Amino acid sequence: MHNLTTVVSFEFLRTITKPKFWLLSLAVPVMIGLVVALSAFSNSTAQDTTNSSEAGFAYLDNSGLIDPAVAHAMGGTSVTDAAAARQQVIDGKLDGFLEFPADPVTEPVLIAAQDKGLFESGRYSAVANALMKQSVAQRIGDRQLATLAVQPISTDTTSYTDGQVSKGPLSLLLPGMFLILFYMAVVMLGNQMLNVTLEEKENRVTEMILTMMNPTTLIVGKVIALVLIGLLQALVVAVPGIAALFILPRTFNLPQFDLASIPIEFGPLAMGFAIFVSGFLLFAGMLVAIGAVMPSAKEAGSAFGVVVVLLFLPLYAFALIVSDPTGLVSTVFTYFPLTAPVTALLRNATGNLAWWEGLLVVGIIGTFAAIFLSVGVKLFRTGAISYNSKVSIRRALGR
Amino acid sequence: MNDAVIEVENFRMDFGSTNVIDDLSFDVRRGETFGLLGSNGSGKTTTIRALLGIYQPTAGRLTVEGEVFSPRQGARLGYLPEERGLYRKESVEAVMVYFGRLKGLSAAEAKRFSADYLERIGMADKASVRLDKLSGGQQQKVQLGVTIMNDPSILILDEPTKGFDPVNRRLLMDLLNERRDKGATVIMITHQMDEVERLCDRVLLLKDGAAEAYGTIPEVQDQYGGRRLRISFSGHLPTSQSYRAMINEANYAELDIADDADTNAILAELINQGVQVRSFEVAPISMEEIFLQVYGSAAVAEGD
Repeated sequence: MHNLTTVVSFEFLRTITKPKFWLLSLAVPVMIGLVVALSAFSNSTAQDTTNSSEAGFAYLDNSGLIDPAVAHAMGGTSVTDAAAARQQVIDGKLDGFLEFPADPVTEPVLIAAQDKGLFESGRYSAVANALMKQSVAQRIGDRQLATLAVQPISTDTTSYTDGQVSKGPLSLLLPGMFLILFYMAVVMLGNQMLNVTLEEKENRVTEMILTMMNPTTLIVGKVIALVLIGLLQALVVAVPGIAALFILPRTFNLPQFDLASIPIEFGPLAMGFAIFVSGFLLFAGMLVAIGAVMPSAKEAGSAFGVVVVLLFLPLYAFALIVSDPTGLVSTVFTYFPLTAPVTALLRNATGNLAWWEGLLVVGIIGTFAAIFLSVGVKLFRTGAISYNSKVSIRRALGR
Repeated sequence: MNDAVIEVENFRMDFGSTNVIDDLSFDVRRGETFGLLGSNGSGKTTTIRALLGIYQPTAGRLTVEGEVFSPRQGARLGYLPEERGLYRKESVEAVMVYFGRLKGLSAAEAKRFSADYLERIGMADKASVRLDKLSGGQQQKVQLGVTIMNDPSILILDEPTKGFDPVNRRLLMDLLNERRDKGATVIMITHQMDEVERLCDRVLLLKDGAAEAYGTIPEVQDQYGGRRLRISFSGHLPTSQSYRAMINEANYAELDIADDADTNAILAELINQGVQVRSFEVAPISMEEIFLQVYGSAAVAEGD
């Protein structure tokens, strides 16, 4: 392919040397970082608020179950006049008042508290619950019984598939990544892919270009450059994410994620990769063809929208595909070229795609990708020099 | 020895059921400047596109240096299409280096050429400026530089002066003359008949996808016959059986005369009729008149 490396390097470098590329690429991890930081800050503030609330509530115990020592430790003060305490809350002199009923099993705890907004207003419910549970645990006396009464027990499940120990829900994680990657590729690279053939047309540069390389080289070179750009963007997004996975738990004392616990199954991974690659090529082929036929990006946009909707249509039938993977809808979606990538990736991730079905799907998607790319190149040859009008597909292919 | 750089044999081009070119044959010889002429829609651009492999011909054989054109030959070609442009969002230097590399230059050679060329046209300070920030005239200059940056031995110019201001028209002619002096073969598609007469060694007139006339300028003029008398005079130009006035202004006229007409007798007739003749010149029919004869005045207006 004459001049392929020149096209790839020009397309790649001209994108990554633009400040706009880095601004947009870094926007995702920066936004994620901001959200995580805000959440952490919010959690910390909530904790502080809960701590500070320990100093400011009153309670009336009609049940006789509340342990005054526990209540005192949590910042509660016992009162005997419910109406007076409630009036103090209304007057803003008291932050909260909890009235425990005679029978907490059948009756609610009545709470009067200052309004602190959507999230903070529920904190006295948590205080009431904690106070009651800790008081009951104190009454039980036995430490083990008290713990079992207050905390949920831990479980360790071993499940079996076809007589073999199954890998559990975590086994969906890695094959499922290909579905996420496919979604990201379509969303992040879709518009650029559409412009693969439109830019030359809109800039009236095609005719000169075609005397120095054939259209297949130009399109393949641009698609390769886009894949490299996509990989770079993925790295830009992933590196801060992975770093956060390791740093955040240590910094904010969150539970650590054990990467070693993720089961790695070669078969579904390889199948996911094959479906992803063939699906991406199918997507690229369709967009090349659309770009070659339409005179401008504006007019190509509506056709692009239809393609994206068709590609992700199976997500609307997610429950049906997962629960009934061999049903009519699932089967049609699995083998119809446009819906095949997402359906097959979904079934592969949930362990519902037999190896022969996977190969068949990859064959179908790959064949249609080749057809679309070939037709796209042929349309481009004609369409790229039809500067002002939509190309007649019949005329272009009949030439 | 066949010295043809470009050969077109029995070329036919159909778009669906529409026949655009029918059984066209011609050649372009090494080092000559060849004019491909015709009204809009006569098939000139289609012929060039088929020659350069952009269109697949329905039938016939079109070759450059004895081979069907392949992009590898682009390194020796300078092509300025009628519909032209560059990557508008990129800098002047980036675009020139990219096209230079596509034409077989190394990045360093392409950079060096760009710097020298921009210096020559007074745009050295624009190397890092985006093309869409330049004026239309400046973009045309860059386009011309891209066309000739590989020192092409074959130059194909489709309506080269279309949309050019006089400054860029002059620049184009300078660059064209430099290529010609270096022995480049040039094909020009143009409606500017004065350029054709001044620059072209041979021409092909296309009409409705077929060759209407083909040969050197004098051969084509001979084919259409007729001579013109160009006279400056005072007085009233009388009507006569000996000539037909093609242009008749107050003091100037162009008279169409038969090939075997006796011009001395015509001059005597005019003087006898009381016309004061200040200049009297016999010239062959101009290419513009031939163009008018072949395509009609509407075609000339379109071309302009």
